[in-house]
Order: sequence, then structure tokens, then C-alpha cells
Amino acid sequence: MATSLTLGFAQLTDCAPLAVAKERGAFTAHGLDVTLKRFVSWAAMRDALGTGAIDGAHMLSPMVVASAAGVGPFPREFTSAFTLNLNGNAITVSTALFEAMAGMAPDTITRRPLSAYALKMVIDRRKEDGLEPLTFAHVYPHSMHALELRYWLAAAGIDPMRDLKLVVVPPSLVVDALASGQIDGYCVGEPWNNAAVVAGIGRTLITSGEIWSNGPEKVLAVRESWASANHETHLKLLAALSETCAWLDEMDNRITAAQIISTPDYVNAPFDEVVGSLTGKNRQTGGELRVDMPDFNVFHRYAANFPWRSHAKWILSQMIRWGEAPADIDTGAVAKAAFRPDIYCEAVKPLGVACPGADEKLEGVHSHAWLLKDASEAVAMGPDLFLDRRVFDPSNLDGYISSFSVRDQESRLGALDTSQVSSLAK
Amino acid sequence: MSEQGVVVKAAPLCVLLIDEDPERARQVEDGLIANAVVHTATATHGRVLLDLIARISPDVIIMDCNSPDRDTIESLRLVAQSNPKPIVMFVEEEGGDRMHDAIEAGVSAYVIDGLKPKRVQPLIDTAIARFRHMDGLRNELKKTKEDLAARKVIERAKGLLMQHHGMTEDQAFSSMRTMSQQQGKPLKDVAENVLTIVGMLSGKTGKADE
Repeated sequence: MATSLTLGFAQLTDCAPLAVAKERGAFTAHGLDVTLKRFVSWAAMRDALGTGAIDGAHMLSPMVVASAAGVGPFPREFTSAFTLNLNGNAITVSTALFEAMAGMAPDTITRRPLSAYALKMVIDRRKEDGLEPLTFAHVYPHSMHALELRYWLAAAGIDPMRDLKLVVVPPSLVVDALASGQIDGYCVGEPWNNAAVVAGIGRTLITSGEIWSNGPEKVLAVRESWASANHETHLKLLAALSETCAWLDEMDNRITAAQIISTPDYVNAPFDEVVGSLTGKNRQTGGELRVDMPDFNVFHRYAANFPWRSHAKWILSQMIRWGEAPADIDTGAVAKAAFRPDIYCEAVKPLGVACPGADEKLEGVHSHAWLLKDASEAVAMGPDLFLDRRVFDPSNLDGYISSFSVRDQESRLGALDTSQVSSLAK
Repeated sequence: MSEQGVVVKAAPLCVLLIDEDPERARQVEDGLIANAVVHTATATHGRVLLDLIARISPDVIIMDCNSPDRDTIESLRLVAQSNPKPIVMFVEEEGGDRMHDAIEAGVSAYVIDGLKPKRVQPLIDTAIARFRHMDGLRNELKKTKEDLAARKVIERAKGLLMQHHGMTEDQAFSSMRTMSQQQGKPLKDVAENVLTIVGMLSGKTGKADE
């Protein structure tokens, strides 16, 4: 008899692995009867996973790392053995702000990847003129969007905590917020960048793959206790997702995938917007350019589904950098709890999918495609560069974090996460 | 559930109620108003919502569990300068019974750290009760609407059978009831089938005016 499972997902194009696995019968083929449940808020999805209302979730990779680090509700309860996709986000600003940037620094605005230097000049000028700071949005405090946006800003000397206002706006509302002038820019997943460009109200400046090539985006999150109690089911789930991700990485299949996920049950957006987001064809970046970016979404190649502990550690390094995790945390232990490459390999080896031999790698050292030889079978890998060409050595987090001149000097966690109201019921 | 369990003399708590559903918001507000100063936001998001919070500085935020605005509220926990008082989530409590109750009813609450649970609990309980009450009302309304729609379909099917087969009203009804029993289908489904088939035979679809 098929095992019944409920998985949560968000209304974004990178729900494709779950939606396609369901619609093309991959879950059924592995003996799983999966129900998919859509959420409009990450907090609601987290609560549903934490309380057991759902068994697994299409989740922001930093949410799992935050839980493993003991930050927020459900401390040390979530884990992931499967990265669903790499890249896939972008930063978009209002047309007015783009024009102001182009006016201030016409020479930097044409260079890719587009630096936030022109934005810094606009911000400095606004300060001199005594104007309100600009407002940028991302989608959740613990998200790659928040980390990528801050990384891009800080690389140009903008302090994201002081030089502008950062707010959280749900993805489905960012375009409206930009149009109404409530916010001046945002970092979000698709189709919400494309939607602003198509509507003529915004310009996409840079994609997340240009900030960090092939960084992890969403993961399949489960409760650690669930993973222990349902090991066989977990393996079947990962096998179905691995096969689906491989199918999704064939560009021709992305059209079919766009047909599936643009429907009301999933992303519920026009097919044209979704297909552009999914294939990376004719993408706007650099404010003006239209280019094909086949790696805009990576679902399988480059060992994409392998949950690298160096990815978890990079996320943790940024959380510490911005005062969102205690600086004295045992980063090795957190990365081990957050990401489970051991479970991943057990699930996919029978399918003939190659498995890296190490759990970590240097990040930021390859500007081009390269061959990972330390694996059950050599794997063609993609670039892993950061915008500022910094190298991330997962064995030296302290050195990495202190090398940033723009960072939060004191933890903003303060008493907050240690003195939670322990019981309202008492 | 106690709706007036608040300790005497303390200044009333300031509650921000965020709910997209104006009807339910009114219900919850009515329930809370005896014990708290209630501000209600029904269509306020992002920066405007944060500005509102900065202005009224609520002690408690009560909102729909599944509101997209929850992620905006979560960010307050980390932005010290815009909100010096840390906000702690109701769902972070130990034990879990209350948390499950709240989530099941669709209520989430964010409470200023340091507030006595005793002061907050009656408010949360009221919100949970009112959310459930609204759910009940909605289900009832839905059922009434469905019943009404079913009755209309059955009436029309009866009419068609009388017209095309020369049946009396009683004959038409009992023939459909027999079909319903034999096929193990609700009467409404049988009536819909009758409308479709009779409509097809007479060259027009029985559902045309739906």
C-alpha cells in the first residue's frame, strides 16, 4: 500500500520539483501518495512542519540552517537531505531608481555583474539632500534573498542595516508594492522579477547566480525526528525528487514544466511569465540587457541536489555576519545537523546518481566549469564565484566573517531568542 | 473560555488585529474590545504595516495563521531599531496544547516579550473562539447555499421530466428518487444527469443557464 505524505510548497517557480513529481507520477512510482499543500507565508509553512501538520516542505535553505542553529521557533528540529535548486532569485528596482542610478554613475551601470556602486551614490546624494532612506524588500528574515541582497549591497560599501530600510513583503505583493512606491527595490524569486519587468515598472539589475554562482536556494526540509522514524519513506521521497530534478534539467522539459506549474493549483501566473523564469531565456539583468541564462535555475546538474555542508556553513557565516546567530556557535555541529549528505547518497546511489566524496568544498574558487573528481563518478560542476571574488574556506569561518568591513558589530539577537515567553499556558 | 479574565487596574493591552477578512475581524474585535484597545488592519501590508506598528506600538499582534503578512511581522523580531521591544511568538511556548489549538483555529499571535502570559491568554482564547465561531457560521452558510442550489436543480429536473415524459410531479420525483437509490448517488447528482440527458435529447444543454 502506498505511504501517504503531505508536503508544503510556496507559490514560486522553484516549486517545480514537487509539482512535477506529483503530476508526472514520480511519487506514485516510488509507492508514495503525496498531497501538496500551498502556503502563502514561510512562517505558516514552518509552523505546519514544526507541528507535524505536514511531513516535508519546499523551504528556504536558511530556515533549516536557522533551526539547526537553535534560532527562532522549532530549534534544532529541521534538517534537509536534498537541495531542490540552485540560483533562481534576482534583484529588481523601480524604473525611477534605475534611472537615478544610471544618471549618477553611467559608466558602472553598463558593467556586468552590475555593482551596487551606483546605488551607493544615489543613497549618499539622498542623505545630503535630507531625503528619506530608500526601502528595499526581501521575503523572509532567514532567506537566501535577504543574504544575497545584503551581500550585494555591502560589497559596494552600503550598510544594509543603516543606509536603507529593509522590509519583508510577501512575494505575491512585491510588484504592487514597487508600483505604488512603497518600496524602491527587492530581492525575490520568480516569476516576480519578470512580472515587474513585463509590467514596465521595474528593471532587474542582477541575478542571484551573479552574486554567488550556483548557491543553494530551496531545500526539502523535514523534521529530524520524522527522518529518523521514516527513513525508508524519506529515501523514496528523495529518489522521486532526484529523478524529477534530472528530468527538469532537460531544457525541452521546462516548457512542459511551465505548463504544469503555471496552473491555478501551483504558481497561478501567466504561462509566458513562468516559462521565461524557468528557462532563463531572454532574461533581463544589468538593468537593460536581455540575455539567455541557462543556469538561471539549476535543478540537478553540477551535483545540485547534494546538500553541501559548505553551503550550510556559508549561510551560517552570513547569519553571524549580520548578528542573526550567536558568534560562538559550533558551526561544524550546526552544518552537520542542518544538511544530511549521508541520507542523500543512500537515496540516490541506487539510481546511479554520482555522489561527491567530501561533504564540503571551497566556495568561490571556480570561475568556469570544472570537474569534481572526488566522487563516486566524476561530476561536471559549474562555477562557484562570489561577486567580490572572495574565497570561502569552510574550515575558517571566523577569518571569513571578520574579513568583511561591512557587518553588524553586535548581535541583534540580544535577549530575544534566549528569553522567549516560555509558556502562555501557565 | 473566559472572555473577561483580565486582572483589574492594569492599563488595557493594545492589540493589533490583522485580518484580511473584515467580517471575521469585526467578530474578533467585538470579543476583545472589553479587555483591550483594539486596532484593526484589514488590507495593510509591507512598509505601511510596519509604519502602523511603529505608530501604535501594540503589546500583542493577533493575526490569521495563513496571512502572507506573517513574514513581515516575523522580520520585526530581528529589526531592533524599528521596534526596540522584542516580539515573541505565541507558538514558541512550551507544552504545545495552546499552540495546536491556535494553529488549528487559524490564529497566530505575537506578544511583546515580558508581558505576563496571564494577561495575554484571555485575549488569545477569545480570538480562537471567535475564529472558530466564524468557521462554523461559514460552514453553515455554505451548506445552506448548497442545499438551495440542489433544490433548484431537482425542481428543474422534475419540470423537464414532466414536460418530456408526461409525468406528474409525484411521478417525476419518485422516479428520480428510485434512480438515486439504485445508483447510490445523491438526488442532486441524478437531477443533474437528468438535466444533461434530457437537454441533449431536446437539442439544448440543461446547464445552459447556470
